[in-house]
Amino acid sequence: MKNIKSPDYDICIVGSGAGASPVAYTLAKAGAKVLVLEKGPWLTEKNFFKDELAISIHDAYNPKLEDEQHVIEEEVQDSEGNKFWQGEKTSDSGWSWWNGSVVGGSSNFMSGYFHRLKPIDFRLKTEFGGINGANIADWPISYNELEPFYAIAEQKIGISGRVVEHPHQEPRSTDFPYPPIAELPMSSWIDKAATSIGYHTVPVARAILSKPAMGRRSCEYSGYCSSYGCSTGAKGSGRAALLNHAVATGNCTIKPNAKVYKIATDDKGEISGIHYYDAAGNKRSVTAKTYVVACQAVETSRLLLASKGKQFPNGLANNNGQVGKNLLFSGGGTGSGDFIYDQLTEKQVNELKVVGPFINRALQDWYQIDDDTFAGTNRNGQAKGGTIDFLFHQNPIARASGTQWGSFDLGTAEDNSAGEEQGSDKLLWGEELKQSIKHEFTSYKTLRFEVFNDWLPTDDCFVTLDDEVTDQWGDPVAKVRIGYHNHDLEVGTYLAEKAEKLLVALGAKNISSSVSGYPSTNLMAGGCRFGDDPKTSVLNKNCQAHEVDNLYVTDGSFMPTGGSVPYTFTIYANAFRVAEHIKQQWFGITEIIK
Amino acid sequence: MTSFFDKNYQTPAWFAEKKVSRRKLLKSALGAASLAALPTFAVSVKHQQLLELKKRDPWLTLDATLSHLLPKSTASNDISAQGIHALEYLVQVMTVQPTKQDEKDFILKGVGWLNSYANSEYRQVFVALTFEEKELLLREVSHSNAGRNWLSTLIDYIFEAMLSPPAYGGNPQGVGWQWLEHQAGFPLPKKGQCYFELPARARAKNIKASSLNIETKV
Repeated sequence: MKNIKSPDYDICIVGSGAGASPVAYTLAKAGAKVLVLEKGPWLTEKNFFKDELAISIHDAYNPKLEDEQHVIEEEVQDSEGNKFWQGEKTSDSGWSWWNGSVVGGSSNFMSGYFHRLKPIDFRLKTEFGGINGANIADWPISYNELEPFYAIAEQKIGISGRVVEHPHQEPRSTDFPYPPIAELPMSSWIDKAATSIGYHTVPVARAILSKPAMGRRSCEYSGYCSSYGCSTGAKGSGRAALLNHAVATGNCTIKPNAKVYKIATDDKGEISGIHYYDAAGNKRSVTAKTYVVACQAVETSRLLLASKGKQFPNGLANNNGQVGKNLLFSGGGTGSGDFIYDQLTEKQVNELKVVGPFINRALQDWYQIDDDTFAGTNRNGQAKGGTIDFLFHQNPIARASGTQWGSFDLGTAEDNSAGEEQGSDKLLWGEELKQSIKHEFTSYKTLRFEVFNDWLPTDDCFVTLDDEVTDQWGDPVAKVRIGYHNHDLEVGTYLAEKAEKLLVALGAKNISSSVSGYPSTNLMAGGCRFGDDPKTSVLNKNCQAHEVDNLYVTDGSFMPTGGSVPYTFTIYANAFRVAEHIKQQWFGITEIIK
Repeated sequence: MTSFFDKNYQTPAWFAEKKVSRRKLLKSALGAASLAALPTFAVSVKHQQLLELKKRDPWLTLDATLSHLLPKSTASNDISAQGIHALEYLVQVMTVQPTKQDEKDFILKGVGWLNSYANSEYRQVFVALTFEEKELLLREVSHSNAGRNWLSTLIDYIFEAMLSPPAYGGNPQGVGWQWLEHQAGFPLPKKGQCYFELPARARAKNIKASSLNIETKV
């Protein structure tokens, strides 16, 4: 009898973030032998500090761009008006596309605004019809199919929040498992102002524990959250919430500093193993019964495209040419308004100066636009809208930067010592510099908002492999074309104007907003969309490759449209859904072997 | 380039748009080869070491420049380059942090250019000038693109010294945060926990050790 070597593991997962960790957790708990290959190091709460130099200035939780980078293709126009796509290496531009290359991935550094998608997001084409230039497709599953897994994710990740009646409240089977985290006085300011102009605020659910649970401490309100790694374990990263428990079962092995470069296939097109470089750069390989890819959208497409074989000359699961296509970001933009201390009461100023808790307020009144004045591509004022979230920024070095240039306003022209140079680029130092930075920090506070709306899938937004640029291991890097649809700007502008009206009602000054077609590189999805038709999608409704039975993609790559909220919560929920499917498949395989 | 006023220096378009990384800005100002490598130090520069360093260039001139950019005043609750340990922070940037060589070269070249200019105008080195002479000289320097970039770079480091965690050598006892009524987060990194001391990332085999992002100490 021929001795066939059994696979090394039941499940091998490439990546360890929000798309990977629910699979590792679910399968390890079920008894399967799971291997997680993560490119970055395995850090813990002890490695996360409120250190602006590490997080912002030096991007220390990501690869150096000289070592690993991307090529970004933007549309440019020459002097004669001819448009063309021009690529630029991110090591030249300084525009990093990494979002946390460590165990747990970018979920370590998320803000954790956990809005669910709404039923309408699953059937965008049916509800609003097609839009010229956009490849809109309904999802092959409904909200009702995903809803139970949102509820599971809320429990396992530890979501805090409260449900309120709202015109666009999505159906829920359960209440939030944890009460809301503490709020700033600004939260009630926003509620009051919103009510005064007929808006309805939504308390934002957060992936932050409001009380200790599941071996994790609760939030300690250090004042720096957002993109900072969490040192208490309260933030529901895939590492803190799921992988630690997966490893504790004894069934899950995490290999950090393991850079996967190819999923190999045999002549029959079956996966023969995963190839990776270990920490020292040695080539290694491993086999499993089932393979899961979850490297975040761009890198997932890159890995599949790089995994060529006899049956897959254009990359794994890519004989229809769909891998890398219809990449998504988040449409929208940002805006802000200032609260000038000397125009407020002492009580108001003191309330503004509170640091630690969260604003946790959003507007979703226009999640579905029904407004004849909406001028975008639409049907009689009907369009998919989006979400507006409010926040304060903390980073002091970033705030100081720029105060050395003489354009500060000290209140009146008479007492403006830099008045002659105001608006110019006079470099300030000495007492002028002190005045400038002191004024910046102690005279006002800026309330910011972020607009999230659909980034429509188009033929001009996709991932390929670059022909020339390679990473430190010599493998081609991902080239990303970042075209956008004008509809995204029209919706974003509509929403930003609504947000600005709230800032007016709040009494803010210097109100402004900016909506652009630049991608939000921390919010990426698509590239391996799921669907029922193998000709037009990479994955089936279970996020299983149409062409390879034991290959799944569980990060945000599966999304044919992205919805109008940050992606992480939906990635978690969908990964729990797919994990359940993989578990049932694994149970079936195990039974057959028995 | 031989001075702040070299006619060959051109400000790139991206500088005007203020969308450029500091690294790119500095690269554009560089012309000649790197200066000799500076000696390296442990993360905490000891007080006695610093006193010795300040006696000679480049630190002598850099200390004087930083002190002019953020001078002491008689006002209470004031802040100064000395009070925020700006030089200590800059020494760390130049000798401990994995700062790009071209950025370090630019800072060092600026010291030479500044003293050359001081000599040409006053026949003295920069530190020997009066406050008024230094002010006039630096204002002239700031009218050149390269000079403005050099001074702005030092001011950026003043901000980092003022507002980064004390483990990096500046902002002793959080004086910068207190002056600006800024509440720092917690936990803060301690010695051995700075951004360049995080666990190492995987490396390809053909990457030479000399290019590794590791701390060097004497």
